[in-house]
Order: sequence, then structure tokens, then C-alpha cells
Amino acid sequence: MRPGRIAAVLLLLAAPMLWADAPGVYAITGGTVHPVSGPPIPNGTVVIRGGLIEAVGANAGIPADATIIDAAGTHVYPGLIDAQTSIGFTTPKSDAGTPEPAPDFFALRNAKLSGDDADARRKTGVTTIVTAPTFGIFNGQSVVLNLGGGAIESSVIKNPAALQIGFNPRPMWTYPDSLMGVIAYLRQTFLDAQQHTSARELYERAPGGLRRPEDNPALEALRPVLRRELPVVFIADSELMMRRAQSLAREFNLRFILSGARQAYELASELKDVPVLVSVKWPVAPSDQIDREDQPLRVIRERQLAPTSPAALAKSGVAFALVSGAGKSGDFIPGIRKAIENGLSEEDALRAITLAPARIFGVERQLGSLERGKIANVVISDKPLFEKEAKVTRVFVDGREVRLPVEEKKTDEETAAAATPIDGNWALTVRAPQGSVSIQVTLRAESGRLTGTFSGDRGSGDIRGGAFDGKTFDFSISVNAQNEAEASDWAFRGTLDGDTMTGTVSTTIGSFEFSGSRSK
Amino acid sequence: MKRLALMLLAATPLFAQSTIPNNPGVKATVAIRNATIFPVTSAVIPNGTIVFANGVITAVGTNVSIPAGATIIDGTGLSVYPGMIDSGSSVGLIEIDSVPGTVDTSEIGDLNPNAQAAVAINPHSELIPVTRVNGVTHVVSVPEGGIISGQSALIQLAGWTPPQMVVKSPAAMHVRFPRLRSAPLVEVPQEEEAEKERTKGYTKDLDRLRDTFRDARAYAKASAAGTRRLDRDLLLEALVPVVEGRVPVVMHANQARDIRAALEFADEFQLKVILSGAQDVARLIPEVKRRNIPVLLGPILSLPQREDDPYDLLFSNAKILHDNGIQFAIQTQDAHNTRNLPYHAASCAAFGLPKEEALKAVTIYPARIWGVADRLGSLEVGKAATVIVTNGDPLEIRTTVSRVFIAGEEITMDSRHTLLNEKFENRPK
Amino acid sequence: MKRVLLALVITLSVNAQERVTLIRNATILTVTNGTIERGSVLIRGGKIAAVGTNVTAPANARVIDATGKFVLPGIIDTHSHTAVEGSVNEVSLPNTGMVRIADALTDDDISAYRQLAGGTTMALILHGSANAIGGQSQIVKWKWGRPVHEWLVDGAPRTIKFALGENPKSANFRPPPGMQRQYPSTRMGVEEVVRKSFIDARDYLARRDEYEAKRKRGEAAIPPRRDLLMETMADILTGRIDVHAHCYRADEIVMLLRLADEQGFRIRELQHVLEGYKVAHEIAAHGAGAGTFIDWWGYKHEAYDAIPYNVAIMTRHGVLTSVNSDSDELARHLNHDAAKAMKYGGLTEEEALRTCTINGAKQLRLDHRVGSIEVGKDADLAIWNGHPLSTYSRVDTTFIEGEVYFDREQDLVRREELRREKEERLKKEKDAAAAEKKEKAK
Repeated sequence: MRPGRIAAVLLLLAAPMLWADAPGVYAITGGTVHPVSGPPIPNGTVVIRGGLIEAVGANAGIPADATIIDAAGTHVYPGLIDAQTSIGFTTPKSDAGTPEPAPDFFALRNAKLSGDDADARRKTGVTTIVTAPTFGIFNGQSVVLNLGGGAIESSVIKNPAALQIGFNPRPMWTYPDSLMGVIAYLRQTFLDAQQHTSARELYERAPGGLRRPEDNPALEALRPVLRRELPVVFIADSELMMRRAQSLAREFNLRFILSGARQAYELASELKDVPVLVSVKWPVAPSDQIDREDQPLRVIRERQLAPTSPAALAKSGVAFALVSGAGKSGDFIPGIRKAIENGLSEEDALRAITLAPARIFGVERQLGSLERGKIANVVISDKPLFEKEAKVTRVFVDGREVRLPVEEKKTDEETAAAATPIDGNWALTVRAPQGSVSIQVTLRAESGRLTGTFSGDRGSGDIRGGAFDGKTFDFSISVNAQNEAEASDWAFRGTLDGDTMTGTVSTTIGSFEFSGSRSK
Repeated sequence: MKRLALMLLAATPLFAQSTIPNNPGVKATVAIRNATIFPVTSAVIPNGTIVFANGVITAVGTNVSIPAGATIIDGTGLSVYPGMIDSGSSVGLIEIDSVPGTVDTSEIGDLNPNAQAAVAINPHSELIPVTRVNGVTHVVSVPEGGIISGQSALIQLAGWTPPQMVVKSPAAMHVRFPRLRSAPLVEVPQEEEAEKERTKGYTKDLDRLRDTFRDARAYAKASAAGTRRLDRDLLLEALVPVVEGRVPVVMHANQARDIRAALEFADEFQLKVILSGAQDVARLIPEVKRRNIPVLLGPILSLPQREDDPYDLLFSNAKILHDNGIQFAIQTQDAHNTRNLPYHAASCAAFGLPKEEALKAVTIYPARIWGVADRLGSLEVGKAATVIVTNGDPLEIRTTVSRVFIAGEEITMDSRHTLLNEKFENRPK
Repeated sequence: MKRVLLALVITLSVNAQERVTLIRNATILTVTNGTIERGSVLIRGGKIAAVGTNVTAPANARVIDATGKFVLPGIIDTHSHTAVEGSVNEVSLPNTGMVRIADALTDDDISAYRQLAGGTTMALILHGSANAIGGQSQIVKWKWGRPVHEWLVDGAPRTIKFALGENPKSANFRPPPGMQRQYPSTRMGVEEVVRKSFIDARDYLARRDEYEAKRKRGEAAIPPRRDLLMETMADILTGRIDVHAHCYRADEIVMLLRLADEQGFRIRELQHVLEGYKVAHEIAAHGAGAGTFIDWWGYKHEAYDAIPYNVAIMTRHGVLTSVNSDSDELARHLNHDAAKAMKYGGLTEEEALRTCTINGAKQLRLDHRVGSIEVGKDADLAIWNGHPLSTYSRVDTTFIEGEVYFDREQDLVRREELRREKEERLKKEKDAAAAEKKEKAK
């Protein structure tokens, strides 16, 4: 081997690799390819070389040095883009005293990405994210990152992506602690940024006779925003909040994006030139029946209409993306599915997590579709992406395959063993002098505490004060609770032996023996 | 020494210690004649006379003989009504909400069955004259807070010491029934942990309430059996008359879920129950009717719990109870404005309750519910001479109450408000 | 067919604008022109077009037979905190004049609808009383069902909230552990906060003038920082913003009036002003109005001397006095407070009715548009089934600018419809959840 070549190979070996292979040339063949920039290709080929897409097509030639990946019967998509996340950041507890991000807080410099975070996202097919913290009024400047593993510096697609504003009031007694205070604060801050910019320009041009302006990195950081070079992402979910954000943006002639937007259905036709990121963390109904009936009809309506927002935006020709927002990564695709169930076409849905977010953040020349020259972020799904049981099987980021976490299926035995031996339904017989008393008991143990219910000859209800140490147990019940004269407590104490139990029960008229067997 | 006492008296801040006389201590023989008399339990008497002596009504009617030496009041153009009764108030227990030293409504802790409002009433509170000059002569003063708040007292608003004021104590034991939610749900809470904690807390509160009543029952049995005690428990003792059904329990609950749970709890312990608040009572008519439970409605001039509740929910509840033959009375659950009791009642009449029923809801119905109908609540021979004289319907705001008699004694119509009014009317120009 | 339907729709909507309504045969309480028995009100284009006993209406008019009923102008509440999203107080600083209620208005608050059901049509939505100088307030009409920006009243004056006494000095709130109590904590400090704000505002204006002068002379100058708070204070001084000041004790009332005199502006309206009766003379001399509730007292020490005769006494001294609520609940029966102004202090029926209508309109400087039933004014009014000052009366219908925003009959029908819709929606969710469960079990 020539020395250069040796060096190259050594370099390649030295580079962190998750899947050992030689030259990074792949040909994914036989699957249905969804370029997004064009119609789906039934028996298409995608060729990847050196981290970029070299070719896409029905008749794309397969290079001799390519590793062939047979994707027959599966679907090939561009890596998905989730344009609103807070990966790498946690919200501090309110009493932690952690300072809020300022406008000059760069997500890139402060994100602490964990392998688990990235794994969870990639599992759903997401290979690119935009991230910023979610607390504070200014959330800082977000960044577009590839989720390829490896050093964060090599994952940056665009930094900064946008300035993010969260409208979160501060704790009481610290200005601003109300929503209207936050808006006044933002207004004043932008005014100050304008003044700061003019002051510096004037001073830099001709300092003579002028007081020099102070250094203010936060206000400095707003300069590109005022110049419309950097967009602002406003976190705004409700119709009113979206309108307030728009109003503020127009006051200062800012380029802006609305994020959250789950009430976008209320004003879809008014968002013509506004890019929108719709969070698919749809509102859920309370689990309790009475709570559901108590909720205002307004809340119920909003909950049911929210998933129609993407379809409404599509219909109005608004540029929008679908994002996970505050939701969990595992809920991303199901949330999108819900939008599809509520009128969004699958084609628009796919675009909303690929080309649309790429365009909104100005990275459409590099990402968002399977086209020659773009970054090789590719995901393979065993079924069409939005189908119920679809699973992402292989993921490529920057042209390198990333191994997906293996799912461990719990065996039935394991599941059974996880339950404690006393869990289940039991038929107990108490040998009382008047005759046997039958009581059915359902038991469940968790960390030594025993809970459950009883019913039978002497009444029914919950068991109390139950404990189980793995072998012996005790609990109390109230019998004859309906008849005051006869009401009393019975305390059971016994030993478990496989599917049977024995012990004594203490009552106000004495102690008796009992036995029980597990009922099927 | 006298000088020192006088100086100290002058130095004592006058607030909370009214300078207005409580009652004169004179039960004169009085006849109010030619007035329109509203006995409440019988037809209106257009040109009637009412006579009382020694604190008791001796005659009511059209052709009534007036005893010699009686003070005669010309009732031409005037009306005579029984004094009104507020079934839930904090008059006497509070002076200024924001000054803790003057607030005695809520003891610390969840279980205070042994707290008695009767011992904490301030007979010289400024709120007392302010309330009675508008014709509200009796209130049930109720402890608040916790789960078992304590025992209320039915008091008359005249007396120089609490015992002189107390008509009945305990009036009832008050239980603020545990609630899973402090208000009907609007938005689903985001914090799962907090939710779990709240549910656990609710279950714990229910258990504690149940356990306390069970213990009280056992305590009662032991006491009845004459078992010698070496460990008196004042808390449980206070509950003995309750579990034995001799003292009623007022269950404070507004959400249907909680009212239902309270009723089932009362069933379990066979308690004599009165419901209070009961905003959702319209959803539970069969359950309430079947058990023959009286309901204390109010404050009427308040807001419904839910966004979706009809705007007139609280105004209409009285009519619904009336139509279903369920006993009810009206309360303000206020202190400084217990005087507005009649207007709470009138609001019910604005939304369908017959006017006579609204009047009864603040006179004879509370008297019956509180078991003092032999003495109060209507103008009948033999009952207490607690009588108000007005220039019209006391449930109308524009009516003036001109005279108030409580248990036969004429009460001054001065109050802190009338005196301050006079003072500043006389400010030099 | 589509074209015909389209034309019909257009005609109908045009008609809604020019819709003519006749309310006939009622007792009209005009407030400014006495009572008209068996009178009628003609409404056209959202305005009162005619009032009297002989009012004729065009053939296509919607006619409402109000025989036996009463018509009162919409009640005006000059102290409301309804319809604000988030906190009504920006608690953090002694002067938060740069904050605006208008930035946090919401059209979701059912309280607005309930107030319509009590005959209230207009309100001044105020910042809370946590600060000596609070945020800028907003005058609205309760146009329930319309988007909130339509609730704003065109041409309404800008207003701001001041607060004196226990609240701004944080007498009754404790800062969280670890945080110091803030200045001001006495009435002395409250006065200084207010005075200093105006002095700072004058300095701010002076600096701006200096910059302008420099620029005119062609000298190099860096523009001064625009300060929204200082601009607000400056606008108060130049009469562009009306001050509505929450106050209780007589001494602080006198303090504020004197301070305003010193700084050269007039207090538009004192609010709560529970001890106003002690200094009614001084209030009248300054020319401030007063807006208060009749009978709440004793909840704070500064409210201990409050008497229900307050409104009557101030009225007798020539103070423009209105009744207001500071409560979602009271705002729906301000007619009770007006009646109490008769009960306590003997105001006449005319005077009492003014306290809940035209007087508030004057304090909000909108009396050319609302507050009485006069030709040319907005058709903001309510039909009552009995005299509004009777506790037995209730509102049947409430109009704002000629549109019905509350009607009892409609409400009774709608609540059934809403109940059904809720049932259907919940059932849909339940069925969907059950179906999903089945799917999963497969």
C-alpha cells in the first residue's frame, strides 16, 4: 500500500465508528424509495459515498465498491427532522436558582447530549434535531444537529438556528413574574437592543465627543435578530399566544417562526407567510370519568380539534413542520399518525418532518430529501413509516450506519416472576365457631406493602395495613361494616406456600384459623 | 387608681371592642299596632297588632287587646317580620380578616371536633350591631378549616357575654368532607407525581376521617357500657353525641362526587346529616330526598364551580329543592356582610322560588332545621319576641329596618357604620 | 344555485349591520332624561336611533315586545380583573407602569358572559394593586363570542392603575424565604415611589430634549435609551393617560391629591376610596371621581372604617361617584350596589341609577358613547323583567351596539345544546379509546 493510502486507512480506523466497514460506500437497493422531493420510486436505489448522497433513482448504477444493502420489501426515507426539542437540556427545579439563558446563550456550547437521548430519537427515524432549553424567557440560540454520535462539533448543521423565546414568567417577586410583564420586558429588551446597536455604530464611526456604550453581550446577540438575519422561534401554543407573538414580532419587524401552535386550527388562514412548527404532543383526556365530565366543553373541543391543526395549515398553504416539542420521542410518530387520522395527507405529513423543517431553518440544500449532493441521512422502515406496526430497522447519519438499540422482549416467565408470589385471587375459609366464613381476597404486593380487596359473607371493601415479606403476610379488613352492631375488624396473619396460605385471624371475639388457596 | 384605669381605657384601641350597647336588659311590654304583620307560618295580617311581654309574644292578630302600660308603637305604613336567621356565618369569630389576632375561625390541624365556636364569640365585635340593624337577629357561627372543623353555635346578636348570646351549642358538628379535587378539573395536570401525591393525600384524609368516627363509636360504646376510663379523649368525646345521632353533622361539600361520598359516609355511621354549600345538589335530588336531608344553600351571591355550569345555577337551586319537597335554608357563609342574608334569599326568588318561600328560608326553615322552631322563626304566640319593624319587604334592598327586638328587648339601631356616618356628617365645612 | 345562496348570505350579513331593532312598550330608565313609561327604543346600526312613547319602526325591524319590562343602559364597571391571562399583578417592582393589561387579555373567561347576564356591558380591566404604580389598564365591552381584539373600545382613553395603602407596601404578603421585604413598606415610602417616578420622568424628558437639541445643532449625540416606563409616566403628566388610583385611608387619599396637584395632573378616579367620606370635600375640590363598592368592609385594617354611606356622602359633596365591583361575582349584580346607595344615605332613584351607568361612563370619558339611553349613543342596554333596583328582578336580554350578547331564553336552549355536544364528544372519545384497546389486545 502506498504511504498515503496507509495513512488514510489509519485515519479511517482511528475515527470513531459504530459499524466497522471499509470505505463508506453503500447502495441501498430494492426498497420503495421516498425522496420527498419527488414521487416515491417503487424499486429504487440510493447510493451513499463519503457521507453524501451520490445517486437516487430507479436506474441508479451501483458502484463496484459499494456495500449492497438489500431493502427489498421495505421503505427508504430521508432521515427525519424534529425541529423543536430540548435534547441535551433539562429544566432545573424552580428552587435551584439556576440562571436563565440569556439571548447570547448558545445551545451548541451547553448541550449535554446523552447516548440514550440520541438512541431514542434515532429509533423513531429522527436523524436531525433542533434543540434549545425550554426554561426562561429567552431560551437562547438553538442549533441544528445531526444525531450521528461522535463529537458534537462534527454534528453541527447550522449554528445558530434561531433565537428562541419561551414567554415563561419568572418566579414571583422577580421581574417579570406575569405574562404581561414578560411581554413588556421583551418589548423593552428589543428597544434596548436597537438603541445599543445605533449607539455602537455611531460610536464606532466617530467616537469623538461621545460617551462610549457599555459592553452588553445579551443585547449584542439580538443584533442579527433585529436585522432579520436570524429568525426568532416563539413558543406559542394557544391562539391568543400566537397572536401576541405575531404582534410583538411585527412591532420590531422580526423574522419569526411560531412553535407549539396546537390551536393553529383557529387561525390557519391568517398564517399565510408565517412558518409554523406544530407540536404533536396532543392534549389528552383525563383518566377519571368524573374529571372528563367536569372539564369545560371548551377544553374538550380544543383537545379534539388540536390534531386537525396540521391539516388546516396544509389546506391554507402555510409552511409548517411537525415537531415533538415537549413530547416524548416515542410519541412523535404516533402523534403524527393522529394528525393523519385528522385530515393530514401522508405526503404532507412526510414533508412536514423532512423538507419543510429543512426549509424553515434554511438547511434545505443539505437535508430534507433524498437528492444527489445532500447529506446522507437515510432511514429504512420495514413498513410505510406511518403504519401502525412500522419499525425503523436501519439508520444512516452522515453516511455512516448507526446501530439501533436492540429491543428486549420480556419472556412470559420473566413477566410472571416480576409479579410477587402472593399476587392474585384467593379463596379464604375462616373456621369460626358459628361455622365457616368464606372470603374472596385479591392481593398485590409492591415493595413490602400489600394492597387489595375482599368480598364475601361478611361484607366487602379494601384491605388495610397489609405487609408481605416474601413469606409471611398480614392485613386487616372491616367486616359487617353495614351493621353497626356487628361491625368489627379482622386481622389476618399467615404464611404463603406456593398456591396455598394458612394462618390465624384475630377478631374481637377471639382468634381463629384460616386457610386459603389461589383461585384461577 | 381610677385615673390609671381611665388612661388605660383611653389607650386601648377601640377596634374590636364596640362602644355600642349590647342589649338594654329590659323586656318591656310592647304593642305594635296597625301594621302589616308577616307571621310567616300563617297568612299576612294587613292591619294587625302584635304584643309581647317578658320576652315572649303574647298576641298576634287583628283584634288584639293591648295590656295596660304597654309601650305602643304606631305601625301605620310599617311591616313586622320575625328576625332573620343565617345558617352559616362567622359573625363573632372574626373582626378583620388580615389581622390574625382577630381571627378565630380555623384551628390548626385537621381534626378539631372539640373546638367550640360558642367559647370564642366576641360579644363586642363591631360586626354584631352592623348585622342586626338590618334585621338578621340570629346566626349560626361556624368553625372552619381542616376536616372536622368543630362545633357551631346558634347565637342571638344581643348579649353581654357569650353564654348570654348562645341559643344552642353545639348547633352541629362541622365536617369539610375530603375532596379529591379542590375544584372541578379544567386542564389535565402535567405533573404525574403531584397527581399521585394528591390522590394519596385524599385517601389518607378519608381513612383518617373514617378511623376517627370508628374510634368515636367505640368510645361511645364503652362510655355507654360504663367502662371505667383512665384516658379521657376530648376529641372522641366531642364526637360521641354525633355518632349517637343526637347532634347533627353539617357536611360541607359542593362537588357531586364529594356530596355523594359524604352521604355514604353518613349512612355508614348512621349520622344525622345536614348538607352545606351543595352547589351540585340538583344532580343528587333522589339521594338527598330519600334520606330526608336538609340543605343549607349559600352563599347564593357567589359563582358556580364550573365554566360550564349554568350562570344561574346557584340562584336556581332553591327552586329545585322547593319543587322536590326538600327542606332547605339560606346562609351567607360571610361575616362582615351577613347583613345581606335577605338579598341572597331574594336572588333565589328572582329565579323562580316563590317569594314567601324565600322569606321562610331565612326564618322558619332554619329554625326548624336547627331545632329551635319552638322559639324562633315566626310570629306566633309563645315564641320569642324577636321581631323587626320595617317600611317594606326586608328582602328588598331599598327597605329600611327601623326597629329590632331580640327576645323582647329593643336593640339600639346604632352601629359602627351609623356612628361614623354621623361623625363625618358633622365634619365642619 | 350557489350564486343565489351567495347573494342571500351577503344580503343577510349587510342587514346585520343595518339591522333595526325596536324594543317596545317598556319602562325606559334613560338615566339622563328621566323615566319613560310605556316607551320604546329604536336601534339602528348599533346606535340608539330613537327613544320615546311614539317611536315608529320600519317594516323589517326586529320587534321585541317588552311590555311590563324595564330598559336600563348597560351597567359600567370601573374596576374589573376579568379576562386576564396569567397574573393580574406584576408583583416584582414598586412601579410597573410599562406593563399593559392589553397584552394579556383573553376571550375565554366565562365571567364576562355571566356579567352580561347581570346587565353589565362595559368594564375597565385593571392591573392589580400590588404596586404603587401598576400597569396600564384597558377599557372593554364584554363582546362574548367575538375575538378579544373586538372587545377593545375604539378611542377609549389610555388608563393606568395606582395603588396606595396596605397592598403596595406588601403589608399582607410575605416574600418567599431568602428574599428581603421590598421597598416601600410604609405609606411614606409609597408616596416617595410615586413622587420619584414623576421626577425621573421629567429628567427623562429633559434628556430627550437635550438630545433633540444637539441633533438640530448638528452635534454628535447618541440617542438616549427609550424607556417605556418613563414614557408612561411622562404621558400621565401630559394628561395622555388617566390615573385610576386604588386607595383606602383618608390620609393617603389626601396625599395623592396633593401630590397630583404638585405634579400638575388630575387624578381621574379614586377607587375603593373607602374613607372617601372623611375627605369628600378635598376630593371634590381636586376634581377626582370616585368608584367603589358599597358594603365590603373590615377585610383589612384599612377597610375597617368603611361605611355603606360612603357613596351618598361623596355624591352630596359633588364628587362624581360610581359603584364598581373588583369582583367577578359582584360585577353581575351591580344593580344591588346601586340600590344600596339609596338604602344607605338616601340617594334618589335617579342618583342611584347614575352610579352604575353614566357616572362610570364619565369617569372613563366615554359618556358621549355610553351610560344612558339617548339618541346617538351606542345601543348598550339591558331589558330587565322588573325594576333593576329590586332584588327580585333579573335580566332578560343584554345588547351591546344593538347585538344581543345575552338572552335568557336563548341561554336555556343553548345549555341543552351544549350538554348534548359534550355528551357526544365524550362518547366519541370513549368509543375511540375502547376501539384502540381492542386493537391492542389483538
